[in-house]
Amino acid sequence: MLWLALYFPRFALEVFPSEQPDWPAVAVWRERVCALNPAAAQAGIALGQRLSSALGLAPGLRVRSRETAREAAALYGLACWAGRFTPQLCMQSNDCMLLEVAGCERLFGGYEKLRQAALQALFEQGWSVRSALAPTPLAAYWLALAGDEQSVFDLPQLPAALAPLPCAVLGLDEARSKLLRAIGAQCLQDVLALPRAGLAQRLGAEFSVLLARALGEVPDLRAHFVFPEHFLQRIELGAAISQTQALLFVARRLVSALSGWLAVRMRGIRECVLLLEHADRTQTRLPLRFSEATRDIARIERVLRESLERLVLRASVEYLALQAEEAELLTPSSAALFGELPGSALPPLIDRLRARLGDAAVCGLQALPAHRPELASASTSRPAPRQTPVMAQRPRWLLARPLPLPEIAGAPQRDGPLNLLAGPERIESGWWDAGEAGALGELRRDYFVALTRRGECLWVFRDAEGWFLHGFFA
Amino acid sequence: MALPALQLSEVLSRQDIWRGDRLAVRDGAAESSGFDALDAELPGKGWSTGALTELLPTQTGVGELALLWPVLVRLSRSGWLALVAPPYLPFAPAWAELSLEHLWWVRGVSAQEAAWVTEQMLASGAFAAVLSWLPQVESAQMRRLQLAVEGRRSLAFVMRAPTAARSASPAPLRLQLAAAGAGALSVQILKRRGPPRPEPLLLAVPRPLRGMRLKAPHHAVAGPLFSTLRTGSFSV
Repeated sequence: MLWLALYFPRFALEVFPSEQPDWPAVAVWRERVCALNPAAAQAGIALGQRLSSALGLAPGLRVRSRETAREAAALYGLACWAGRFTPQLCMQSNDCMLLEVAGCERLFGGYEKLRQAALQALFEQGWSVRSALAPTPLAAYWLALAGDEQSVFDLPQLPAALAPLPCAVLGLDEARSKLLRAIGAQCLQDVLALPRAGLAQRLGAEFSVLLARALGEVPDLRAHFVFPEHFLQRIELGAAISQTQALLFVARRLVSALSGWLAVRMRGIRECVLLLEHADRTQTRLPLRFSEATRDIARIERVLRESLERLVLRASVEYLALQAEEAELLTPSSAALFGELPGSALPPLIDRLRARLGDAAVCGLQALPAHRPELASASTSRPAPRQTPVMAQRPRWLLARPLPLPEIAGAPQRDGPLNLLAGPERIESGWWDAGEAGALGELRRDYFVALTRRGECLWVFRDAEGWFLHGFFA
Repeated sequence: MALPALQLSEVLSRQDIWRGDRLAVRDGAAESSGFDALDAELPGKGWSTGALTELLPTQTGVGELALLWPVLVRLSRSGWLALVAPPYLPFAPAWAELSLEHLWWVRGVSAQEAAWVTEQMLASGAFAAVLSWLPQVESAQMRRLQLAVEGRRSLAFVMRAPTAARSASPAPLRLQLAAAGAGALSVQILKRRGPPRPEPLLLAVPRPLRGMRLKAPHHAVAGPLFSTLRTGSFSV
């Protein structure tokens, strides 16, 4: 077993979407600072300080009251996200989770690569994080808590790695911490050096069990995080947001949670819905569609960004939710032996173009078995294999509606008289849909290939109403 | 400190350097156009991949697609093609000569969007060929397109208005197309990596002249149905 601890030292503050990360900000719990950002630390504010002294140090300080419900929701989302690394994880505290990564080393090409990938992704989502790898969950937690970001792979190395940690990581109550101080134990080395039986007598049996668990002497059984059956995550925005750019930051956290959840369930989505709840309890639904089932974060994010950029907000947004209902089974593809095929770049590209231009703007072309030219060609949602007979003597461009040509002495004109090269080809009838609304109906046309003086090759026809231009032989 | 002396022959053997009186050589980065006379005049003996090719037809319908048709038909068998903002509806019965299952069509977009789509498509490298109609494209956008396609294995054709011939362009190959009588296309090479060619190239492109029943058109006009029409003197 190997555990990766991810500890979020500024969790209480970073659960709030921040508009200005460089501005001093703190989160406050019972009138004392419980989390602060680097700008606040620079102003001289420290953890545990009273709010009044903090405000004295930085008058423009942004203050957030700690919201435990919001933290729980955020950690839940992070646990979903972590599903992309491992299906086995557990919550250690309200700001730390532990990932069991022994089983997925090879997939990520080594523990350090896995850890870097996790840290990078968390950084992009705006989380400060400390991490540590250790063979027992408690040891990993303590190392991360103390900011000692090392990797310990073997149990025998564990006591030496834990030795320099301060006793504060043990999380003991005030009386027992005092006792430890009185004994003269400054760090874990001192604690581990003491006889275990005596410690148990003075600090209680559970303390000795705690140490034994941390050192791997007795098993540490954990309840694994249970991934939800359906994905619906909702984030309350700290303040009403009226700019789509600011929504993107929050929405990205939702998308990464969705992607991890899909990875655990080995599923992909073709569609998910971003719900924007306004102050008046109305909702704006923003569907995100994909041309094939996917769980790729980058791909979902690109579509999300294009869709958000196109969105015009009619009111400010208070809640943001992401919902995915119909996840379909997506068997993981083996990594390609000779690199990626060039065609694999296509589906994400089509998704992005559609997100920006609309679904109808990107389409395929299909020939239909119809003799009337207007009905012989149609667009399809995507190019599809279909056997179609090639018709000779058909122009490559067609006008959406025939353009009347001027006529001089019965001869059609376009920059002077037309030179008729081939024809006539009679295309007629269509009585079966005559009279139907929007249908082409009966027609009787003689088509010619014509050349203008300037060398354009045209497809023209003549019917009872005169001469018309209908296409170009480009 | 003196730089090591560089032999002129070494410099000239580089692929991105060519002598003004010879065509540039581009190994394996070109697709034959299907017209031998044209291939002989193009650097790399064909349409260059990874570079913009600018086509300036005087009008729609002079045979600009007929010029590209052989290479499009060939590439559509194995790769993706895209038409971006074509001026008219592509008529499927004619386009079915290509593999339609590999053809994407982007329609109903503004000039800005068309340039953006083209850039995205070229940058993705997913397409064997991208044909874009950008009549109002600006020089800065053309530079972006050229940068997007560089190093890709895509063919990039941009159709521009004939007036664009007067302004400079970052495309390494620029061709002006005009009709030269029925069945012939005059290709004027405005710019290429090689010596200038002042006289236009005349290519025989396939035109829809089969079944020329109409020698004297007034014999062939539809019968009694059009009795109201005057079937008089067409100028042929």
